[in-house]
Amino acid sequence: MESRETTTTTERSETDTILRIKNLHTYFFTVVGVAKALNGVNLDVPAGKVLGIVGESGCGKSVTALSAMRLVVEPGRIVEGTITLNQIRKQGNGYKVMDEVDITSLDPRGPKIRSLRGSEIAMIFQEPMTSLNPSYTVGNQIMEAVQLHQKVSKVEARDRAIDILRRVELPNAEAVVDRYPHQLSGGMRQRAMIAMALSCTPSLLIADEPTTALDVTTEAEILDLMRELQADMGMTIVFITHNLGVVAQMCDEVAVMYLGRVVEQAPVDDIFYNPMHPYTRALLQSIPRVRVREKKRLEPIRGVVPDPYSNISGCPFHDRCSDFMPGVCEVNVPAMVTVPGDPQHAVRCFLHSDATEGENGR
Amino acid sequence: MLNYIIRRVGYAFVTLIFVAIIGFIIIELPPGSYLDFRLRELRTMGGDYSTDMIAALEQRYGVNDPVHVKFWKWFSNFVQGDFGWSFRYERSVSSLLGARIGFTLLVSISSLIFSWVVAILVGVYSATHRYTIPDYLITVFQFIGLAVPGFLLALVLMIFAQRTLGMEVGGLFSARYRDAPWSWPKFIDLLKHLWIPVVVIAASGTAWLSRVMRGNLLDVLNMQYVQTARSKGLKEEKVIWKHAVRNALHPLVMVFGMSFPAIISGQTVIAIVLNLPTIGPIFVNALLQQDMYLAVTFLMFQAMLLVVGNLVADIALAWLDPRIQFE
Amino acid sequence: MADVISVPVTAESDVREPTSDVGEMSQGKLIWLRFRRNRLAMGGLVTLILLYLAVGFAGFLAPNNYLQQNLEYIHGRPSPITFIGPECRFRLRPYTFGVTTELDQAAFKWVYVVDESVKLPIRFFVRGDTYSLFGFRTDLHLFGVDAPHRLYLWGADSLGRDVFARTLMGGQVSMTVGLVGVALTIFLGSVLGTMSGYFGGVIDDMMQRVVEIIQSFPTIPLWAALAAALPNISETFTMLHRYLLITVILSLVNWTGLARQLRAKVMSYRQADFTSAALVAGASNARIIFIHMLPNAASHIIVVSALSVPGMILGETALSFLGLGILPPMVSWGTLLRDTQQVATVVQHPWLIIPGAGVIIAVLAFSVLGDGLRDAVDPYSI
Repeated sequence: MESRETTTTTERSETDTILRIKNLHTYFFTVVGVAKALNGVNLDVPAGKVLGIVGESGCGKSVTALSAMRLVVEPGRIVEGTITLNQIRKQGNGYKVMDEVDITSLDPRGPKIRSLRGSEIAMIFQEPMTSLNPSYTVGNQIMEAVQLHQKVSKVEARDRAIDILRRVELPNAEAVVDRYPHQLSGGMRQRAMIAMALSCTPSLLIADEPTTALDVTTEAEILDLMRELQADMGMTIVFITHNLGVVAQMCDEVAVMYLGRVVEQAPVDDIFYNPMHPYTRALLQSIPRVRVREKKRLEPIRGVVPDPYSNISGCPFHDRCSDFMPGVCEVNVPAMVTVPGDPQHAVRCFLHSDATEGENGR
Repeated sequence: MLNYIIRRVGYAFVTLIFVAIIGFIIIELPPGSYLDFRLRELRTMGGDYSTDMIAALEQRYGVNDPVHVKFWKWFSNFVQGDFGWSFRYERSVSSLLGARIGFTLLVSISSLIFSWVVAILVGVYSATHRYTIPDYLITVFQFIGLAVPGFLLALVLMIFAQRTLGMEVGGLFSARYRDAPWSWPKFIDLLKHLWIPVVVIAASGTAWLSRVMRGNLLDVLNMQYVQTARSKGLKEEKVIWKHAVRNALHPLVMVFGMSFPAIISGQTVIAIVLNLPTIGPIFVNALLQQDMYLAVTFLMFQAMLLVVGNLVADIALAWLDPRIQFE
Repeated sequence: MADVISVPVTAESDVREPTSDVGEMSQGKLIWLRFRRNRLAMGGLVTLILLYLAVGFAGFLAPNNYLQQNLEYIHGRPSPITFIGPECRFRLRPYTFGVTTELDQAAFKWVYVVDESVKLPIRFFVRGDTYSLFGFRTDLHLFGVDAPHRLYLWGADSLGRDVFARTLMGGQVSMTVGLVGVALTIFLGSVLGTMSGYFGGVIDDMMQRVVEIIQSFPTIPLWAALAAALPNISETFTMLHRYLLITVILSLVNWTGLARQLRAKVMSYRQADFTSAALVAGASNARIIFIHMLPNAASHIIVVSALSVPGMILGETALSFLGLGILPPMVSWGTLLRDTQQVATVVQHPWLIIPGAGVIIAVLAFSVLGDGLRDAVDPYSI
């Protein structure tokens, strides 16, 4: 594992946050009821960093990403909250906000959001098998994005496509550009997908479990590649995964999600060595570790994730929590509060603060 | 690609041979065919002429031969273009067929094109406007198109055209052009008459195809690559037409093999009501009269049309879907 | 990358508040829930129940016997109905008028003139023509007028027979052809489709060729050719035989669709883990097919079958319309519509087209029912 520069210690300011999600609620209105996929997500994405979002299946990781792209489709809808995208440029050591866009107020099919998609925010999906259109060549699909956002001729767009395919270390890029997706292996497809996402040099890349469908060696290669490209291009990555090992390898900061809410956000070392939310702790205890001397049993988290149709009073984790405080936890929803003395560590738990949601929310 | 085409052509030939066997069985099925009737008639007439005729007929159709010889006689003649004799019309089947196959193809292919163009447009519209009032209206029309028997629709449309539009209906030509040589006015006259049969014959197929198209497109719209296309910032129209429709067309081309028979079927019944100079009416009459060589030849031609149609669809699919050629 | 670590599967234990029961509903209950929300499909179901009741009690509902000819009322119009009684006052009882026959001297044909001075009350539970209802002979009708007058709700045909009675009776044939045919379709389609999908190999290849060959004929011409090969009605070959063989002919083509779909389903089940588990546990082929696969495919079979009924009804109608299906004196909607082959007849006697409405309503009802079932069964359509 490559060594990483120490995580930033400077206090986070408005200007180095590229994406700010506040109190986001996204619901799916289905036949059997309303599925509350997101229940008040608060999340700050620091510019130039890799932010990991972890959590069990169905906790709302992907919906958060799709909401930020405004790609949530019927019957899903954003019902409340704001997502602010800061279009920032690097200036010396810090960042300067050039423009601020409230993404939630945009028409999801309008020209404004379309001009942001691909050029400012790009996305990579989980399944490299299905995320490329089987009817068109890889080159065609990359050139399409290039020509959409940049005024270039077809020949230039093709050259750019070959360039970017080389950049993602695809061997024989000149040939791959004319291949159809089904002629490529899973790893090659995901590289092609990354190439497509990076073709217009976005400042924010959202990667939704990009390596889950790949085998371990391919996964490692892809992760190395992404880390490298991130450093080279200075972009921000939101990395969604359920794999804590990947988080440790990839991320600068981590947000832990549970049932449609972020329950803890902190720099990666804090999450691993000083977890504050009982759910985060439970997650860490439930995974095997190497190089740990003491003999400890793996602790499964008791209970199951409630289905998103249910209405749980109070803290959504209270019925599975080992530190459950009767009379407190099932009554109110705790607010996301910054840990005293550690401005980058925020947690949503009554063990650490009495603030309830709506009173003192971050 | 060439390999693929050769293999499909091979399949088509095998299918055609089996189709011929079924055709032969159908010729042999009815107990009192026109051939038996004619032979009996000749026997009662007696005389040298009749005896010669009987011998010639028995020789030609292999009346007293074992089944496989009989089949081979019929099949080898069929392949050489000698389809037998229509005892009802006292003409060779090929001459009856030749006069009508052209118009049959014209009406069928026009209906086919009409139903495909309309079905794709309507299907795309209703899939992208799901749960809106126009979508519900289209659904109502689709159900009606599927539920109304073609001949009833033909009747209603004829009465409408006659009473409201004051048109001369029935057939493909006005009386004065029917036997006239081809000319520009005759062609215009044909177009004026063609729309009713085309709309009627295509109606149920269009309704069905547009529902299939709607379903396919809704499936494709859930695919990841549609989201990928949107995430690039493409316009919704481009997402739909370039990325979704193209993939939704694959299954539609596969059901081509089912939409073409529906059109041939519909054409058979509707032609009777609309009095079209196609093979439909003559086919039904031949069946009613048990004039089996005529009937089965028509059936075989329709089946052949379908086999060729499927072959074309298979090749079109290979061209449309790059994955197929490499399977 | 030494530690590939995943968030573990959570262990089962008590959940304190089961606040939503979506996860615990049975598949059948979910299907019914989704089906019931579909008002169109429910409408189709209700319509079908009413239609079957109506054609089942055809003899009782119709005021006349469907075979009763009336040479005094050839191509007679539907009887007018009024609620104005003989005293020119509104009454709750409906009335019809007497009809006299006159010779039109100019056109030289018989015309029927409604005599508004003769008012005939329509009575309920009257005695009239005899008919048989589920094997019992009776002459009780739901409604009618006093003899010797007759009530023709939907007019009369070329032999003066009651179109209303004939439409209801025709429904008995047309609406059961579909059901009997579907029973055969399900049998042939499931047996052959399952075998083809489960055993694969040579059996599958052969089955696929057979399906391909049958499907390479246009349906109606093939049906027509097979129907034309049926023997004529005689002592040994009754109308009932013909009716049954027509349904056989219809399903002979129809099963191919179900077989293909089921083959695909069974093939996917063959790859499924539950099949491997059963095989490992030593289950026999028969057990896997009947206990594990068919119940899974059952809803699929039902949907495909419901959706194939309309095709059968339309097929019978087309065949009978061509004179190759059901033959008189048996009636079906198709044989009734044979009277409308000439545009001129329809223009003069538009009521002859009414049996067509029966076809349309029945086919529509089955289509929306089948569509509703399909949407309800598909678990991904929430």
